[in-house]
Amino acid sequence: MPTFGNEPQVGGRARDIALTSVVVLVALGMPYLPPTTQERVSAALQVSALRPFLGVQALLGNAGARRIEVDVLQATVDSLSSAMSTHRAVAAENDALRSLLGLQERAGPAFQPAVVSRPGTPGSESTFIVSVGSGDGVRAGAPVISPQGMVGIIREVRTSNAIGIDWTHPDFRASAMLADGSAYGLVESRRGSFREEDRLVLNGVPYHEEVPSGQTVLTSGLGGIFPRGIPIGTVLGVAEEEGTWRKAYFLTPVAAPAGATHVLVLSAEVADDVNRLWPPDSVTGSDDRIDER
Amino acid sequence: MSEVDVRRGLVGVSVLVLFVIHFVLHVGLSYGRGAPDLLTLGLLIAVRELSLHRAAILGLSTGLLEDALSALAFGANSIAMTLVAVAGGVTRDLFVGDSRFFLPAYVFVGKWIRDALHWIAMGQNVRQPFGEQVLVEGTIASLYVAAIALVLSRLLGAWGEA
Repeated sequence: MPTFGNEPQVGGRARDIALTSVVVLVALGMPYLPPTTQERVSAALQVSALRPFLGVQALLGNAGARRIEVDVLQATVDSLSSAMSTHRAVAAENDALRSLLGLQERAGPAFQPAVVSRPGTPGSESTFIVSVGSGDGVRAGAPVISPQGMVGIIREVRTSNAIGIDWTHPDFRASAMLADGSAYGLVESRRGSFREEDRLVLNGVPYHEEVPSGQTVLTSGLGGIFPRGIPIGTVLGVAEEEGTWRKAYFLTPVAAPAGATHVLVLSAEVADDVNRLWPPDSVTGSDDRIDER
Repeated sequence: MSEVDVRRGLVGVSVLVLFVIHFVLHVGLSYGRGAPDLLTLGLLIAVRELSLHRAAILGLSTGLLEDALSALAFGANSIAMTLVAVAGGVTRDLFVGDSRFFLPAYVFVGKWIRDALHWIAMGQNVRQPFGEQVLVEGTIASLYVAAIALVLSRLLGAWGEA
């Protein structure tokens, strides 16, 4: 009996399907890898195939960061001021950088200045990369702050950079208190129907505590993750009540994560209360800036 | 060198260029959603020239590259890209695709399914509502990539006729 031409393809087809099944199984197993293995895979790809693209991002970020050099600012501030008056976006960025410079001077060496970039790939929403890493003393769990206040927290640290989440991330939590210390609670992100509806909520406030609108909410320092005194937001109104024992309040955040291009990352132990870094009127001022954006 | 080899070489180079442009736009320049998903476009084009298991390997590799930059749901892109690559490879046996509108339609459906699979694989805690992420954003992103595919097919068609 003559051999048909397609007979070898039958075996090849079976092999093809078997190999495909193996690859599909490997793909389906990826989410179940241990976090350390996932981080190793990510780090290996970031320093190999993705390195040129991250390099471009870092170059662009550094180019932006150089603009904050004090000498350059000092020498060109007059001419820039007139030019920037007609360029609203540039003026706003310059304002943010000078605020950051002022904050950095007050904060001292415990806070490392960093440039923020966002990967922009699917699944990377609410995350950002900062240009400082373990080589600069940054550790996982370090708070990320802007001249307005809390931006987010570092999740993964590499030698020269780190990945953080901002307050819109569903995993974001911060132990918080009112500025006058009259009530304590837990600040968390609450997803809306759309991303624009994402809100910050101060949860777990005792039912009988009166929390007037406009009160500033700061990190309380409880739990040891965040130092005490970082501005998070201002009280907007009651979000929900549970029975007669608990209330939650919507907050107006002081920092807009999308607008945070230059930040400070904590790299060393600091005194308990860091609220002295923010002038008393800075929280109110930052609200205006968020509204403008 | 046969005509098939030349065609495969050209497709390979085009796909590589699409991959590079994708990462330059999304990672290097941080354009985010403003830039089209050329990685999925390149994958959908490439898998029609590859055997099924090679298509799956390419899908897994591209998915891993995107997962490397995702701290939210590692593996979601790998699953979505691998399954789309396999599905794309299977369509080769089902559709010849002579029509000039085949590529845009194929890319639109492929990209939409990729976004839907990604949404499913992300997990409940991380994903946005289905209506927003898949029905609205996914459809717009699919139309965006399909438009790029239409332009690409016209350019390659005109180049092939010249």
